[in-house]
Amino acid sequence: MIDAPERITLEEWDLRYEKLYRAGLPQPAYGGPLSRHVSDGDHRLLKLRYDNSPAALRLWNFLLTEEDRLHRARAAGKKIVGTMKDLGTVPVMAYSFDNMVAFYPDGAWWIPCVMEYSAGLLEIADSLGIDESFCPVRAMLGAFVTEAHFPIPNMLICSVGATCDDFSAIAQRLNGLGHSIFWWEIPHRRCPEQAEATAELPGGLSAPRCQVEFVKSELARVKVALEQLAGAELDEERLSAGIRQANLVRQSLAELRYLAFTAEPCPIPALEMLVAEMLAIHYCSDRGETMVVLEELLDEVKVRVRAGRGVLDADAAKIFWVNPVADLQVMNLLEDCGGRLCGTEYLFTHALDPIPENVPPLEALARAALADPMAGSSIDRAERICSDVCRFGAEAVLISRIPGASHCALEGQVISEVVADTLGIPVLEIEVPPVADSMSPTVRTRLEALAETVRARRRSRQNRWRNG
Amino acid sequence: MEKRMICAGIDAGSRAIKVVLIDAESHEIVGEGLADQGVEQDKLASQLFKAVLKRNGANGSDVGAIVATGYGRSAVSIADTTVTEITCHAVGVHRLVPKARTVIDIGGQDSKLLRLDASGRVRDFVMNDRCAAGTGRFLEVTAKRLGVELDALGPLAAGSQHPAAISSMCVVFAETEITGLLASGTAREDIVAGVEAAIAARIAGMAGRSVEPPVIFTGGVAMVSGMTAALQAALKQTVDVAPAPQMTGALGAAILASRQLSGAPM
Repeated sequence: MIDAPERITLEEWDLRYEKLYRAGLPQPAYGGPLSRHVSDGDHRLLKLRYDNSPAALRLWNFLLTEEDRLHRARAAGKKIVGTMKDLGTVPVMAYSFDNMVAFYPDGAWWIPCVMEYSAGLLEIADSLGIDESFCPVRAMLGAFVTEAHFPIPNMLICSVGATCDDFSAIAQRLNGLGHSIFWWEIPHRRCPEQAEATAELPGGLSAPRCQVEFVKSELARVKVALEQLAGAELDEERLSAGIRQANLVRQSLAELRYLAFTAEPCPIPALEMLVAEMLAIHYCSDRGETMVVLEELLDEVKVRVRAGRGVLDADAAKIFWVNPVADLQVMNLLEDCGGRLCGTEYLFTHALDPIPENVPPLEALARAALADPMAGSSIDRAERICSDVCRFGAEAVLISRIPGASHCALEGQVISEVVADTLGIPVLEIEVPPVADSMSPTVRTRLEALAETVRARRRSRQNRWRNG
Repeated sequence: MEKRMICAGIDAGSRAIKVVLIDAESHEIVGEGLADQGVEQDKLASQLFKAVLKRNGANGSDVGAIVATGYGRSAVSIADTTVTEITCHAVGVHRLVPKARTVIDIGGQDSKLLRLDASGRVRDFVMNDRCAAGTGRFLEVTAKRLGVELDALGPLAAGSQHPAAISSMCVVFAETEITGLLASGTAREDIVAGVEAAIAARIAGMAGRSVEPPVIFTGGVAMVSGMTAALQAALKQTVDVAPAPQMTGALGAAILASRQLSGAPM
């Protein structure tokens, strides 16, 4: 069945699902109509607009069935590891074992949005002294208390040091509730001094050799802890194989990102791209299936690009998006306001860059971990953003502040100034709470104005060319 | 004599609705009007629009295109299209002050700083975040707390000898501060001058490191005397108030309507 790519509502997806089902749509075990997740309390789904491809349906179903997968893993005797704050390093180690799955409890920060506050997780966090002056990731505390969103992991691992202050406080509170946490430290990445031994990191960064050695020693501790949990040794060969698998996911995602951000017209909506990118962090509790889901999405995008078909107007303003949004609907809003995604920096670029395969595996993971945007300075982040803006051809940068997130108070201005000074393109900051309905008119005005400004700048450029 | 086609701009702001009618070809202003905003935004906009048309001897068939702007723009059902107030203020100010390079617009609910190129197009803009501390709402809260009308604030501020330091950047907390200042015997004049300085400081913070002159001040708050001086002090720049500052958004919308009518890019 060939259908024009478009963004459709949940109701329209139901009708489309019936047609596809009758036509014999092949589906995985977790397949089915999207609307069934609403009965689980995911009310926000009713207000979103989705890509209409079967590949997108699979992506959403994969995302929304993670809890079932974790329960099945437990029933099958697998060890479950909650990897907190760390975005994309420890999961690579965990998935190198046969009997282990890793997941990302921090992901609970989307539950208040998806369930439109109905789960009461933020109220539980409030009652534990972690109020709205903290990032919405505090919802994770509530999820641990209710045990209604994921099984309590066999082991919790959390990185601290040059990470998010809010998250460190929240994780400590969790620890205080009796959940044992294995802590490992990530230092603030600094520039090597003159004559100091240097190590190259992914993403064109570098760090002093001694910092890499330190992180390597921390990851060696993590490895021992995981081995004890698994009851099996993780030798270099197995870990290297795990890294190669992780890189396959990253490679697939890199290709998808490049096409999604540069092809005209835009071949895939911003919301599906956000979900796809998140898979790189922890594989939604199934690394193998992540690969299948991403490949299917990539194939769909390639078909659309070859056919010159897309989901948005060809003249959509090309926006580079910084930080993930607490309310998924705002990704839809960007497109409703005349924008399209043209590059992203969701605070985990190090989980998208390939892990080095030409060095011993722990060394490679240490280098990847040190390339975490949050471990370095905001200037480093801003420079990477500038580089990616140029690579993807974005015309403006949108910084989405996370309410309560301590890092957002400072980094926005630094990024704005570096981008404005280096590239001279418009930069806009917005703040997005978990459910942004009441703020929708003000956010809409800002996004529409950004799209109008981009178009006005295009016209100015065209006039200058015309006038020589 | 053949009747000329009219284009209209409707600025549905959070406190007031403004309508400007222009000649579609010459862009000469042929009529304007203003009314308080209310719950029934669409009805109020429509009523004002009809009243302005009638006052100027025109009717609906004379109107070629209508553009709505402002916070309530989506509610204006008679509009052919909507454009944000950022673009409309830029167009309106450029028409009135072609050399303008920076526009500061402080309205009832939000504030913005626009950087324009030589052709009057927006190069970049910044807006206040969720808090109303840098907006006209701050002045409304102050007037209410002091028990005076909004238009009395300017003359009051002019009499200030020692502007009070308003430390809070949140309107709700600032109201508490004002209560405390009143209780401690601070003169109302000094409180108002302090609030104006706090709003100006907020705008200067938004502006960042560079503000290219000429700087033009628009929006309803530009009519509050004392605010221009406060902005000049905070920005360390000359700031000029746009002619009819409350109407620049509607004027810009009307000009954009004429562009739409002629098929030119908006």
